[in-house]
Amino acid sequence: MIHITINGKVVQAKDGEMLLTVIRREQIDVPTLCHHEAVEPSGACRLCMVEITKPEWDGWCDYVTSCLYPAADGLIVNTHAPKVNELRSSILDMYLARHPKSPEIRQLAAEYGVLKTQFEEIVDGNNCILCGICTRICDTMGFHAISMVGRGHGKEVAPPLNMAPDACVGCLSCAKNCPTNYIEYNVSNGNLSIWKKDFKMAACKECGKTTITKEFAEYLSKNRDINIDYFENVTNVTEKN
Amino acid sequence: MNNRFIVKPELCTGCRSCELACSFTHAVDGVRSLTRITPIDGGFKDLWVPVTCLQCDDAACIKSCLVNALKRNPVTGAVELNHEVCVNCMACVAACPFGCAVLDTQTNLIVKCDLCGGDPACAHFCPTKALEWKPIPKAVKKTG
Amino acid sequence: MKEYIGVDGYQALAKVLHKMTPDEVIDEIINSGLRGRGGGGFSAGKKWKICKNIKAEKHYVICNGDEGDPGAFMDRSIMEGDPHGVLEGMMIAAYAVGAKEGYIYVRDEYPLAVTHLEKAILDCERSGLLGENILGTDFSFSIKIARGAGAFVCGESSALMKSVAGEVGEPRATYIRSVVKGLYDEPTVLNNVETLVNVPTIIRKGADWYKSIGTKKSTGTKVFSLVGKVRNTGLIEVPMGITLREIIYDIGGGILDDRPFKAVQTGGPSGGCIPESMLDLPVDFDSLTEVGSMMGSGGMIVMDDTTCIVDVAKYFLEFLVEESCGKCTPCREGLYQLHKLLEKICSGKGEMSDIEKMERLSENVMIGSLCGLGKSGPNPLMSTLKYFKDEYIAHIKDKKCPAGVCPELITYKILDNCTGCMACIPACGYDAIEGKKKEVHVITQDKCTKCGACYAVCNFDSILVS
Repeated sequence: MIHITINGKVVQAKDGEMLLTVIRREQIDVPTLCHHEAVEPSGACRLCMVEITKPEWDGWCDYVTSCLYPAADGLIVNTHAPKVNELRSSILDMYLARHPKSPEIRQLAAEYGVLKTQFEEIVDGNNCILCGICTRICDTMGFHAISMVGRGHGKEVAPPLNMAPDACVGCLSCAKNCPTNYIEYNVSNGNLSIWKKDFKMAACKECGKTTITKEFAEYLSKNRDINIDYFENVTNVTEKN
Repeated sequence: MNNRFIVKPELCTGCRSCELACSFTHAVDGVRSLTRITPIDGGFKDLWVPVTCLQCDDAACIKSCLVNALKRNPVTGAVELNHEVCVNCMACVAACPFGCAVLDTQTNLIVKCDLCGGDPACAHFCPTKALEWKPIPKAVKKTG
Repeated sequence: MKEYIGVDGYQALAKVLHKMTPDEVIDEIINSGLRGRGGGGFSAGKKWKICKNIKAEKHYVICNGDEGDPGAFMDRSIMEGDPHGVLEGMMIAAYAVGAKEGYIYVRDEYPLAVTHLEKAILDCERSGLLGENILGTDFSFSIKIARGAGAFVCGESSALMKSVAGEVGEPRATYIRSVVKGLYDEPTVLNNVETLVNVPTIIRKGADWYKSIGTKKSTGTKVFSLVGKVRNTGLIEVPMGITLREIIYDIGGGILDDRPFKAVQTGGPSGGCIPESMLDLPVDFDSLTEVGSMMGSGGMIVMDDTTCIVDVAKYFLEFLVEESCGKCTPCREGLYQLHKLLEKICSGKGEMSDIEKMERLSENVMIGSLCGLGKSGPNPLMSTLKYFKDEYIAHIKDKKCPAGVCPELITYKILDNCTGCMACIPACGYDAIEGKKKEVHVITQDKCTKCGACYAVCNFDSILVS
């Protein structure tokens, strides 16, 4: 166990634990757009930056992304230092210029006092903020169906060659965890489509209710050693009555 | 670890007190959660059976989770879901043969019984003691 | 290979393997004061020491041959001309840190470098200089070539290692350094081509000899690629501590056409511009950093008074916007917005508030970015804003480009000394010039696209760009 000071309060932390984990445990609100507990932190959105210093640094301080910075004994963290707030509003300003139509971005930017961007708005842009949560979740789940394509300002998330990805099983995890709800999908009448690929849903033998796609069920039963019959028996106890 | 749900269907009246207890116990910010336990109609007249997660030894939900959001609590033995990690892929919902992991459409979170950290509220609230949380009775030696 | 051995090649390796312990090698390199030639200027010996002292299953040595700066080709010339020097340097590094495998990361744009390195590796393997039990000792080492697709960001250490491992070349946060956790999460020494090629010489001639060249804190020599508006362009190898004036006027032979010197841009796209007042600055790691530029990989672009400083900043920003990997927001969006603002200023729509806006944004991008590309990205803008603010103001307030470069801020006029030779009339592709033989011609401003074709053909300096 080590001790770090967050906003003046001394708290305990495990050695090597990421600062953001400690900060969140202390119920301190630090905004993030690319963080998800299921995947490795990437440090892409830069909103979780905090000011850190140590007594022996002679007043010098550093600005680091808390999601990637391992807690070390004696560290003094300020999650809302003036410079940190300025950085955050500046980054949100950049986001707002790129995605002026995204309600999620507008709301977060407003919290940091950015109501209108000072930069040139990109009006025909989309709402993908390139946080990489979708691609990292897809990789973590073992599908590798989508990835980042291109670089710089023209970067985008796409399946290989922009065609219906073979590896996708239609679990929808990418779409459901998108912070700006950008990824489109459609579920209707036991059919599901995402990334230009169509799926059939596995239906419960008894009640006909559907939860996941046949492909996903087959993948799970094959790779995770689960009886395939389980997936045809999705009876929901609470809905049975 | 020694405690188990002891269910006596003949005492269950289907009053759904257990549901309410569960719902309130797991409320988040004043919003009641979807219940993790429910009495189902046993098929005969007036025979109800409260059903909740069995915390299976070889749990299909744990196996189905591709992001390790479901883990067994070593103290209580309950399979607990970490909502921070969960990516809402519905694999566990589909995999559970008893339908005990469900999607709470109000909060968009998957819920399942976590034994309330070792002392389930539902059992406390059962007015007829059809549902109890206590040590497994020792096997009675057959006599004669 | 025979030629290389003929000039004492692999003598250093033999000396190291037979007479020195790894710690002695590291001490020798630390003592020589050799600093990484890739840009950061971190002591090479210290890097090796950290890496060696980390216990791990495997250690790796990587040679960074991903030279992405426009107009720089120092590493290329070394890899093509002296592949064995690079290999020997790598072997010594590997021996010092205890690595068994090494990679040379070369961009695919350098096919000749790849061929030469491949041949050199093959020759070494055949003659027992690479492989198991090199030179009869129990030191084993193998080198593979990893080819990159020429992304500028892949010169960044963590992005390079990802690329070598076959992943997308995106940097990661380096709060845990790559010498601790690098390629395949193992401790990795990553050195630039030029750094490694210095190693055999240091071992052969000794650290004290090496220290006698250059300055106290920046020892040895450095190769620069001197380009731009100087008479003699090309690669130059100079001792550290030489002044910029000596490089430009003595070695470079002065500015083309004896025009006045304006600035020199050092350190590649993310370096900075140094004005005339600082020409007597000694060229070493620390002095350059102090004035807001950097050593970088050693690009040096000389500019005269016909170069528009805003246009230069815009050019470098454009390069960086294209080469940004796009992972982190400040670099991806921030540099893009900076470039947009510069474009606005160049097209005469700039406002004075834009300068302040750029300064603030630059600062935030520098603090906020994930890797070196973003952290140093606004450098060309910041340094030009610092030393050439007048020119920015001229663009914004007077709507004039003093150097006559930005098309939307200049006009072409024909002066009275026009002889009426009519040479410019067919040269103009837009029929903007009218005039009769032996009479002064006139440019119709509405039609003029400011392409400069008339200026190029006029033999009498009658066309005025203002």
